[in-house]
Amino acid sequence: MTGKGVFYRIKKDWVLYLMLLPAILYFSVFNVIPLIGMKLAFQDYRIIGDNIWVGMKHFNVLFSSPAFMDVLKNTVIISTMKMVFFFPIPIILSLMINEVRNGPYRKYVQSVIYLPHFLSWVVIAGVWISLLSPVDGGVNVIRNFFQLPSLDFMTSKDHIRWVLVFSEMWRSSGWDSIIYLAAIMKISPALYEAARIDGASTLQQMRYITLPELASTVITVFILNLGFFMNAGFDQVFNLINDSVISVVDIIDTYVYRIGILNGQYAYATAASLFKGIIGVVLILSTHFISKRFTGKGVW
Amino acid sequence: MSHFKKLNWTRTTIYIILFSLSLAVLIPILNLLAMSFSDPLKVHELKGLGIFPKGFSLINYEVLFSNPLIIRSILNSIFLTIVGTSLNLFLTAMTAYVLAKTDFVGKRFVIIFLIVIMVFEPGLIPEYLLIKDLGLLDTYFSLILYKAINVFYLFILMRFFEDVPDSILEAARIDGAGHFRIFTKIMLPLSKSGLATLGLFYGVYHWNEYFRATIYLTDPNKWPLQVVLRQFVIERDNTSLLGAQNVLSYDQIAALDFGSLQAGTIIISIVPLLIFYPLILKYYAKGALEGGVKD
Repeated sequence: MTGKGVFYRIKKDWVLYLMLLPAILYFSVFNVIPLIGMKLAFQDYRIIGDNIWVGMKHFNVLFSSPAFMDVLKNTVIISTMKMVFFFPIPIILSLMINEVRNGPYRKYVQSVIYLPHFLSWVVIAGVWISLLSPVDGGVNVIRNFFQLPSLDFMTSKDHIRWVLVFSEMWRSSGWDSIIYLAAIMKISPALYEAARIDGASTLQQMRYITLPELASTVITVFILNLGFFMNAGFDQVFNLINDSVISVVDIIDTYVYRIGILNGQYAYATAASLFKGIIGVVLILSTHFISKRFTGKGVW
Repeated sequence: MSHFKKLNWTRTTIYIILFSLSLAVLIPILNLLAMSFSDPLKVHELKGLGIFPKGFSLINYEVLFSNPLIIRSILNSIFLTIVGTSLNLFLTAMTAYVLAKTDFVGKRFVIIFLIVIMVFEPGLIPEYLLIKDLGLLDTYFSLILYKAINVFYLFILMRFFEDVPDSILEAARIDGAGHFRIFTKIMLPLSKSGLATLGLFYGVYHWNEYFRATIYLTDPNKWPLQVVLRQFVIERDNTSLLGAQNVLSYDQIAALDFGSLQAGTIIISIVPLLIFYPLILKYYAKGALEGGVKD
């Protein structure tokens, strides 16, 4: 091919460009146009005629709005709670699954705990609303067994964020453990062999072999999650939110939906989501470079 | 050394914990299953941890399957899943072939373009306005075209394609086959497991999709099952479900248990996933790993 001109190659490969065309066209329309459409954040939306440029107006309103500050606070709190309380669970789970030597039992456990990952948040919300029902819901049945009074978790501002954390655990712990389990599989059996000869117990092997070997995967997954920090789980909140608890679980994405789609304040809502998007991109880019620096692996 | 294996307490504890966790996943779902098959007059006896129906009755499913809204929404979901997934697979595979298996002027530029697309997610509102401006509101194009190519899945499929030896493709090329022919006649048949994996990714996505359908489709007749489920279970709108009943007498309607009907709807929406679950376990997990973990 060398020696022939670029134009010759392009002409020769016209079929390839034709095959690529649908994708390029698709991304240009459905990704690039809405991306450029984010400029609406600096405009006032007009149904008839062109939008008017208004500069930072919407951002000024946004940052002086107590409602948005609440939403921002909720987003950070919910994401942090998930980072602290949910994040370690799949790691622990993978350590435990790794200890199961009985093939069929291992298969049973894995098949069951992966299942919720494939259910939509609509279904999971349905399951959890029923599970947490103050009337004979599973959790309250257990509480009553221990002589504790029934609680209405779904409408309690003190509990609803924990409902988010625990329903996330229910849905994702199993599935998220796969990535750690795969990393554990790659650890050399010779390490365990040597430890066993030295008389290390199962727990000691976990603590001194598996965990250290797992560290780089844990760091990678952690910073990857950090990139999505501002998301806080739209689908989950969208389906578990209700009027009694909206003040403590309303996050940026649900706020954008309500203000934008339901109330039709397109420009203002776009400003809120652009703000979130910028923080997201900064987080993703910085995690990419931090990850590259410390683990040698980037996010992409 | 003793010849008897000592009972490993750590391991035994782990087995028990894992068993409890599996119950924590299963019992809430089995409870809904039991609820949906219970006699509506006895269902109040069923507590939150019960997994056996109280009495037995198919009335909930009779009611649900005689509801035109539910029936139509199931058909809509099946339609959207099949058509959406087929289009996804075709477009993704064709693009993956060109990017993974051929070399052309501008390839690097296309790859960078895709990564940029992956990192910069456009916001909800501009996307909504685009669909509106294109006149796609209340049409299925709004759902089928959303994420018609998922960049992340595209990269996963490219990895599967890279496993197909170049020599086979080269041989076909020497025999005079064009790129499109090589793609359909050689690449696709040789990448069945990759395509199965992606088909499941996209299929599960389409079956579970509710949000875009909620905002793009205002005509209830076009709603997929998840939207009806949401209306019914999350928004607690029982009129849309019971209002359309004409197969039951008033006495029968009075005897119905709303919670059990909700449970039945949830079960109906889970069943297709359970049917495909063995395949999902076989392909989905492996594919997600190969795409997610970088070596």
